[in-house]
Amino acid sequence: MQALLSFEQAPPITAPLRFFLTAPLFGMLAGLLLLVEGPELFASRWSTSALAITHLLTLGFLLQIMLGALIQILPVVAGANLKNPSLLSSLVHFSLSAGALSLAAGFLSGAKAALHAGAGLLTFCIVLFLWAAVAALRGVPSSSPTIRGIKLALLGLFGVASLGVFLVFALQQGTNFSLIALTDLHAGWGLAAWSGVLLIAVAYVVVPMFQLTPGYPARPGWWFPVGIFGLLVLWTLAVWFNLEILIRCTKAVLALCGIAFCVLTLRLQAQRRRAKSDATSRYWKLGLLSSILALLMMLTAAIWPELGEKDAWSIGFAILLLVGGFFSFMIGMLYKIVPFLAWLHLQNQGKGQIAAPTMNKLLSDAAMQGQFHAHRWGIAFLLLATIFPEWGARVAGLGMILSMLWLGFNLLSVVRRYRAFARDISVRLLQP
Amino acid sequence: MTHPKSAHVLDARFLEPPEPFVKTLEMLATLNEGESMVLQLFREPHPLYRILVQDGYRYSTELLDDGTFEVLISR
Repeated sequence: MQALLSFEQAPPITAPLRFFLTAPLFGMLAGLLLLVEGPELFASRWSTSALAITHLLTLGFLLQIMLGALIQILPVVAGANLKNPSLLSSLVHFSLSAGALSLAAGFLSGAKAALHAGAGLLTFCIVLFLWAAVAALRGVPSSSPTIRGIKLALLGLFGVASLGVFLVFALQQGTNFSLIALTDLHAGWGLAAWSGVLLIAVAYVVVPMFQLTPGYPARPGWWFPVGIFGLLVLWTLAVWFNLEILIRCTKAVLALCGIAFCVLTLRLQAQRRRAKSDATSRYWKLGLLSSILALLMMLTAAIWPELGEKDAWSIGFAILLLVGGFFSFMIGMLYKIVPFLAWLHLQNQGKGQIAAPTMNKLLSDAAMQGQFHAHRWGIAFLLLATIFPEWGARVAGLGMILSMLWLGFNLLSVVRRYRAFARDISVRLLQP
Repeated sequence: MTHPKSAHVLDARFLEPPEPFVKTLEMLATLNEGESMVLQLFREPHPLYRILVQDGYRYSTELLDDGTFEVLISR
């Protein structure tokens, strides 16, 4: 019976793991950049180093985990099977990692060739992934809010990538549009239409499943992804027709939608059946609270635009939403997905004769808890650095390096234990 | 109170994976020819769907207002 656990549909363990193990390296690289550049990074959101670190975090860490996780979970949450997941993950992983490095190097050095190479590699990565995902989802009806949300999120990925490529060329050749408005729109498509909608769609499945909470009510469940995607279309039209007031209204409603989702999820978490909170629920709670603060800042800036134009305000918003919010959600999910994957593969290897070790033996709660504290302190130092960049920036850099090093160590320790148990199971299966 | 769709109901909404999957297969094994069962979950069980189709079962799924997916399984 255990052998039937949808194992045939599961890609080889190396397919998602390569993404999950690479992501902390990009986090460390971002920390290193903070350490080297120091207060310069907090001087302006438009500095070359700020643009470089933003893309190391969003592409190197977040997109890396999102694509790796989607390759693994599309068959489970949407019933969509990707063709040749091993080859797909190799190509996507290589082009994403090389593209993120090249783009960040291009921003830092101002070298056009590096920027163009980065944009080219990332375009290849995203087009290839979208082609594979769309082929897998073709014919899959939108029978649940999750499937509908994932389909919309893929459109969002197309949107953010298209705007990114346009911006690379607009930076050099100029454009009739305001570069600030276009950059904000690019961030909006990336954070809301792609990452936000994907997070919501996946949360419908993983929050009740991993944290034993009640389910998301069906009606708002159907409308959250559609509403957010619709608001991004409206925001795009507002930029196209240069309607400043509509841009501000759209941002305000978008912030309110995000806050509503976070509050709903916090309420579900408060009703969870699991008495003891684990690393995933702690990470999600931190992510939700941090996102609410960030979205309140976004709402305030939509009402008083002068506030949003202050560098410390926009950098503080980015720290709360990216590192406090999305990083926390991703790490919380990695701490469930990676031990579960190792367990699933060991269980299958045991052929129903030898039971796999429990997930706790693959990664202890104490190890995750320690890293959680490092991450929390890292966010606090980053926020302090927006006020006291002179001494805070380098401390925040060290904090980020420590937190990411710890995360990488925890994930590698699962792989190490997985290999040891796999060897043990092979030997025991050979015994008469 | 009996469920309007079937006498055999598995409420797996607050069970950790892989318990819902395992318990569903266990309940299916106890059903007689022509009987059906209802599985309640907060997600659509796509991996289970594949097994059901392979083993010749029919299923239909309904999403209720509270976010419960009710899967009616029959042979």
